[in-house]
Amino acid sequence: MNTPPAVLEAKNLIVNYKQHCAIDSLNLRVPKGCVYALLGGNGAGKTTTISTFLTFNSPTSGAVFIEGESPHENPDLVRAKIAYLPENVALYEMMSGVENLTFFCTLAGITIAREQAQQLLSDSGLQDDAHGKRVSMYSKGMRQKVGLAIASTKHAKAMLLDEPTSGLDPSAANDFAQRIRTAADNGMAVLMATHDLFNAKQVADRIGIMKSGRLVEEFDAHTVQHDELEQKYLAHARGLA
Amino acid sequence: MITAIIRKEFIATVRDGRLLTLGCSLLLIFIGFLLASTFQLQQLRQEKESVGITAKEQWNTQSVKNPHAAAHYGIYVFKPDLPVAALDSGLRPFIGQSLWLEPHKRNLERFNPSADDILANRFGQTTTSFVLYALLPLLIVALTFNSVSQERERGTLRMLHSLGVNANALVFGKLLGLLAAFSLVLSPALIVALILLQQNFTLSVDDLLRLTLLLLLFLVYYTIFVAIAIAASAYFKTSRVTLFCLLAFWLGGVFIAPRLGAVAAQSLTPNPDAKQFWAAIKKDIDQGINGDGSHEQREKAFEAQVLAQYNVSRKEDLPVGFVSLNRQFNDGYSVRIHALHFDRLRDNFTLQQHLTHLASWLGPSLAIRSLSMTLAGMDLAHQRHFEDAAEEYRHYFINLTEDWDRGRSHGTERGAKGEEADWRSVKDFDYSAPDLLFALHTARLDIVVLLLWLALALTLLTLSAKRLTP
Ligand SMILES: Nc1ncnc2c1ncn2[C@@H]1O[C@H](COP(=O)(O)OP(=O)(O)O)[C@@H](O)[C@H]1O
Ligand SMILES: [Mg+2]
Repeated sequence: MNTPPAVLEAKNLIVNYKQHCAIDSLNLRVPKGCVYALLGGNGAGKTTTISTFLTFNSPTSGAVFIEGESPHENPDLVRAKIAYLPENVALYEMMSGVENLTFFCTLAGITIAREQAQQLLSDSGLQDDAHGKRVSMYSKGMRQKVGLAIASTKHAKAMLLDEPTSGLDPSAANDFAQRIRTAADNGMAVLMATHDLFNAKQVADRIGIMKSGRLVEEFDAHTVQHDELEQKYLAHARGLA
Repeated sequence: MITAIIRKEFIATVRDGRLLTLGCSLLLIFIGFLLASTFQLQQLRQEKESVGITAKEQWNTQSVKNPHAAAHYGIYVFKPDLPVAALDSGLRPFIGQSLWLEPHKRNLERFNPSADDILANRFGQTTTSFVLYALLPLLIVALTFNSVSQERERGTLRMLHSLGVNANALVFGKLLGLLAAFSLVLSPALIVALILLQQNFTLSVDDLLRLTLLLLLFLVYYTIFVAIAIAASAYFKTSRVTLFCLLAFWLGGVFIAPRLGAVAAQSLTPNPDAKQFWAAIKKDIDQGINGDGSHEQREKAFEAQVLAQYNVSRKEDLPVGFVSLNRQFNDGYSVRIHALHFDRLRDNFTLQQHLTHLASWLGPSLAIRSLSMTLAGMDLAHQRHFEDAAEEYRHYFINLTEDWDRGRSHGTERGAKGEEADWRSVKDFDYSAPDLLFALHTARLDIVVLLLWLALALTLLTLSAKRLTP
């Protein structure tokens, strides 16, 4: 079998917080153009997984790789190849969307003009009249759009999303899912943590169910039936499987 | 990268309501104090000048009388304040403004040999400089205490990390950005101060240099506070703990250190009380030091020496006035003894001043406070410089009157007279404060302490960058 090279990969990853084991022997591959949904309840280890790719955590054993290289050995990898969108996109409240985008892009080493920034925000779906307003007036969905704009400007190889649609209204969530799909179709590898089964089924190519730090089941999102997925997820959640 | 961080920090701080409200209130307080102290200084200077002129005129218009009697009329001299003293009145509240110059006795400005008062109280003064060294750091604490913890709490720190921001660039960018925002409060204060001083006084080059140096040193002082606040904010988990620690640091440096230092200085090198001090001088004059012999023995020896010198056997036969000659001899000895005791006392003041720095490990405020007094010319060293000049002037005019007395009489008669032309020929006391180099030399220890604090603060900042995990 000829597997495409993975952009994101975890090999036998174990992450402990002091005595507590948050990730237990995780193996995971996200190739180019693939949206991988990590499905699981609270405390399953989704955020820890993402944090490890971002080097916010270090592996206790095992390793993670970005295009075959370990970000823990080469910290510049994250900066160069990863776009990160947390559940609450953290922005500077006192500055406008345009200013935030420009600032974060500068840090990423990309200089953009004001017009460009406005274009990027529009492309990410942020309405024009909001561009110059302070972020403190933004809704969660609007912040997500600024986050998306930052991610897309970076031309990242991979995108890490942590509960991106929780708290968004259905139409905003749907719109967001479309944008993720487009990004993946343009070649980005996407790892998305979510506890929203519907959202996972809607955008993902592969779905992994996580529980207590373990990847307990994996599906091809295009072939698995919604009912089957729902039953498995609930079964794991209730501890029946 | 760092420019972007500086810019962002600057914009965010400027738009933060805290800077505007706190900064404007502080600015108003500062301007209020400055107006008051400029006005006060202006008045003092005028008063001193007019009293000085009147006193000298009264001296000049004395009637025909014995020159020594005229000397006893005495002359008042005043320490001229530098314009910079409007920013810091320093020791003025504790030391008098005038010096009374008379024969036989050296005076201190409102003598207070136990300078305990000076050491303990000079820090509690609410003056213009209080705004600068105590209140502005409080503004810094209020603006900075959550500069890193807020990024941690809101999650922007993770965003920054995911963008590969260098931790050193982040904390130093914050430092510079905050300082830039902070200078928005400082520059209007500076401009107002310059205009006020320029309008009320004629500023010499030396005054301008002193002002510039004062500004630079205060910038160092503020940098220390900003750096420590950022470091604390990165180090402690929550904004609350950071705020608490920073307030403790502020309190310790501004209020506790000076008192602790004063206590240490006083217990290590106590001052004599006034009675002891004067009694010791009297005793040394009466009994003599280093085997000089007692007052009577010295006088006897002097008389013999004078008689031999003029080759006569009786005082009555001397061609010059012996009363004046003898008085001048005694005064000479008394001057020596006074100088000895005065220098010892003032050396102790200076030593105590240095010893207060023992408490400088609590914070940099002690050093900047002392620096600002020195640059304002309102410290012990400038005071001493003035006193020494006044003492020299005292010798000058007393010796002049003795010259007249001695030359216009002979033997033991006391018939010498002087007239208005003589009194008028006494030159005015023409004193100018020492220059910046003198101030720098005086303040060298303070500067070292301040720079050590700067080094410590920047080291803490660098170390905190290492702990900057999301
Ligand atoms: N900073 C931390 N310190 C200690 N334990 C943590 C920390 N972060 C997460 N955990 C624990 O690790 C486990 C996985 O957490 P997390 O990755 O946040 O799960 P999820 O994102 O799936 O809800 C949980 O049991 C959680 O309590
Ligand atoms: Mg989570």
